[in-house]
Amino acid sequence: MRLLSAISFLLLFSAFAHGQCILTVRGTVNDADTRSALAGATVTLVELKKTILTDNDGKYALSGICPGDYTLRITHADCQTLDFHFHLKEDLDKIFQLSHAENLLKEVVVVGTATVRPEGMTGELKGKELAATRGLTLGESLQRITGVTVLQTGNNIYKPVIQGLHSSRVLILNNGIRQEGQQWGSEHAPEIDPYVANRLTVIKGAASVRYGGDAIGGVILVEPRLLQYKKEIQGEINLAAFSNNRQGVFSALLEGGFDEKQTTAWRIQGTVKRGGNAKTPDYWLKNSGVEEMNMSAAAGWRKNNKGVELFYSIFNTKIGIFSGSHIGNLTDLENVIRDQSPPSYIRDEGFSYVIDRPYQSVQHHLFKLKAFAEEFGKSRINLTFSSQLNIRKEFDITRTETELPQLQLNLQTHMADLVWEHFSGKKIKGSMGVNAMYQDNYINYRYFVPNYQSVDLGIWAAERYQHEKWQVELGMRFDNRNRFNIKDNDAQPFDLLIGNMLVPGDEYGKRNFSGLSGTGVVAYKFNEHLRTSFTASTAWRAPQVNELFSNGLHHGAARIERGDPTLNPEKAYSILGTVIFNNEKWEAEFGLYNKEIQDFIYLKPVYPALLTIRGAFPAFDYAQTNASLTGSDIRLAYRFTNHLQTHVKASVLRAYDKKVKTWLIQMPSERYEADLEYNFIDGKKLKQTSIRVGMQHVTKQIHVPPTGNIKVTDQGGITKMQSDYMQPPEAYTLFNLEATTGIELQKRRIDLVFGFNNLFDISYRDYMNAFRYFSLDRGRNISIKIKLPI
Amino acid sequence: MRKKNLHFTLAFTMMLFVLGCKKDKVVDPNDGELITTVKVVLTERVSGSQSIFEFKDLDGTGGAAPSKFDEIVLVKGKVYGCNLQFLNESKMPADDITLEVFKEGMDHQIYLSASDVLAVISDYSLDTKGLPLGITSTWTTAATAGTGTLNVTLKHKPGVKAAGDPITKGDTDVSVDFKFSVK
Repeated sequence: MRLLSAISFLLLFSAFAHGQCILTVRGTVNDADTRSALAGATVTLVELKKTILTDNDGKYALSGICPGDYTLRITHADCQTLDFHFHLKEDLDKIFQLSHAENLLKEVVVVGTATVRPEGMTGELKGKELAATRGLTLGESLQRITGVTVLQTGNNIYKPVIQGLHSSRVLILNNGIRQEGQQWGSEHAPEIDPYVANRLTVIKGAASVRYGGDAIGGVILVEPRLLQYKKEIQGEINLAAFSNNRQGVFSALLEGGFDEKQTTAWRIQGTVKRGGNAKTPDYWLKNSGVEEMNMSAAAGWRKNNKGVELFYSIFNTKIGIFSGSHIGNLTDLENVIRDQSPPSYIRDEGFSYVIDRPYQSVQHHLFKLKAFAEEFGKSRINLTFSSQLNIRKEFDITRTETELPQLQLNLQTHMADLVWEHFSGKKIKGSMGVNAMYQDNYINYRYFVPNYQSVDLGIWAAERYQHEKWQVELGMRFDNRNRFNIKDNDAQPFDLLIGNMLVPGDEYGKRNFSGLSGTGVVAYKFNEHLRTSFTASTAWRAPQVNELFSNGLHHGAARIERGDPTLNPEKAYSILGTVIFNNEKWEAEFGLYNKEIQDFIYLKPVYPALLTIRGAFPAFDYAQTNASLTGSDIRLAYRFTNHLQTHVKASVLRAYDKKVKTWLIQMPSERYEADLEYNFIDGKKLKQTSIRVGMQHVTKQIHVPPTGNIKVTDQGGITKMQSDYMQPPEAYTLFNLEATTGIELQKRRIDLVFGFNNLFDISYRDYMNAFRYFSLDRGRNISIKIKLPI
Repeated sequence: MRKKNLHFTLAFTMMLFVLGCKKDKVVDPNDGELITTVKVVLTERVSGSQSIFEFKDLDGTGGAAPSKFDEIVLVKGKVYGCNLQFLNESKMPADDITLEVFKEGMDHQIYLSASDVLAVISDYSLDTKGLPLGITSTWTTAATAGTGTLNVTLKHKPGVKAAGDPITKGDTDVSVDFKFSVK
């Protein structure tokens, strides 16, 4: 009720605040390089759809505007589009520096002019939205984008799920480089510090021929801001604190140039994070702390039409695994499900920062060297080399004293990438390239996946044709993936036991896969308010080593997983349609998709459970089926007044197994989100103050196989055959509150974000959380985020 | 500048290679963890006759099926002394894990239970704190013949072992259901 009265108060307040529409926005647009006036730049007040061109002196003026929040968009043929968000209370006079395209090489390269990427298929997090996610992991942050959910393992491991697909079906580009860790594991989170990015982009669907045809689910771009070639040193400090697990985060960035001529630039950045046990509404989660320490450094040199950039980053994390999830066998799992709560000796533990076994520690190095040369306004060549080293260690509870992990995986990846982009044509623009990747995986201690080496080669081209209201894009790619030297350190896979002797099984040998992928997009713009696009694409993904060769106990999941060396690549055929409408009041995005995936690789439960010395274990074999994923992502925004607006988001997905003729397991249920945002008029000290009340409703996943081979005895003693050890959790609704403001002190601005997640401390479990069997999800979490300029 | 950058790159790449290629094969920390065999040694108190029953899975959890899984067969109305052994027979010579369990008795507990009242099990041996450990015990078989199962469970509960712990507490190192008959 208090919430409702707050909302009605805001509504009333906004009605009064609705002032007279007589204000003017004026100023000058300059070329950032030459500092001279830029004539013929388009200046648009996005919300009002008012557009004007700058005159010969680069001047613009828009008048008759109401007070409120606006976005001024400045575009020029040769320049990067600039968006300026501001709050209008009195006349504004503003000079803009527009960066010339030459300055934007990185931006253009990463986003890619020729990346087939129609609107509506992509989601972005930047500026204010990104600031509100500071201190969270990459996966958690991305959840703000419609159609993106997470596959969670406890409260520190979040994997992004795009339209129901995740892990090796989702490609993450960290600063333009394919992130290569052990991404196949459902409890292996992306090894990326989100503070490196100033924009996170999600491309939904298999539409990116540029980055590899295996991204059936989609692509996530983690993009740092451009290097600043100005001599002066600048930077920022970010602080974040969270109440739930008493987590603190400190991140700092410093950048500048070396010389007056603006030919060199550098940047260093680092993040430290520490959190303790998380708290559900009822109890603490023992051993669920997290530690993180990351660093990155970048340097750039450029002159006229060529340049070089270097980037290095190191990511270190230590993640505690909730004690209550470390179960011995099937009986232990059944006990914890029956009790609907962790055993008392675990739930009675209080708060602590100490991380004990079981835990995982991961280190990821990324080194990148990029060189480019450009024929101005015509074409550009980029050459990129990168090296990555990923060291993953998993520490279990042991009976014997040891400092060593029980499982260690070292993966090194080296890539070379050559891209030619041409953009001189009036109607046709595009890019093409070749890339090569070498990988070496080395395991130590317990076997789960084998050692292997691989060489992947790809060649691709993508071209765009634009004519009047039509835009057509076509992309093609050929990949060859070669895996060899596949072996265990001392044993062979699938060893046989004859009498009391272990007899080596067949060698893993070599695997070689080749295939084509392609994308076609047709987009049509009816008018300024209405646009539509249609995409059709094919993609294929070679089976990963875990799918082929894993054989052993997956500790995080307490189950035995067995690969199948005869698996074929999976092939996806997807179609996607989008309609985008916007006017002064409305903003609407409607997307509909269907993905038919042939030979979809999944974990198939095997019965009976496997008998071992530690009791029975659920066993899963990798198998293939034909899957059909159909869904819709919808986003609506309505502006009541210049101060008050609302956003509504919905994602719906149906995933069907066409061979078995039943639903696929482990797919996200429906998600609905709504919020109401009020923007205050700027005060003398406080700028861009806003308050947002949000609600999230997640339905119960009812689209699961109605029956299965798992025998489950419910509390009433009735035995049923189910597809899972526990029925999907009930629907839940969470509320959250977010307040943002900027304090202006001597020309500097300190930005503050206050957040209240799960405001009413509601107890819930989520179907996409692997720990739903063991504990409730996190309770209320109050946070504060501070950004200080240096 | 460019040359400098190149050197920088080379140095970094080399470093990655060196780090990546360090294929150190040290002592396997999982060695002490593997239990392949449970031996139940039963000695009839009056005659002193001894019988040994075994569960053996040489490649541990997963992989091949257990190579030996005996049925425990005892005579009705008798008293037996039970001595348990946990071994790692995946290597030569085999590791006797029982010694470790004994040494770290305060962190371990063995539970034995017979179905269908086929035997009464008592006199569990104790750890240094006087809490039940159960490496040795006394079994009194039922007066009438019957068949069922006998479960041997070894729990690991570092730091949390207490009096009256239920079988659900801690991690399961061993849980084997032997077929059990009293004749």
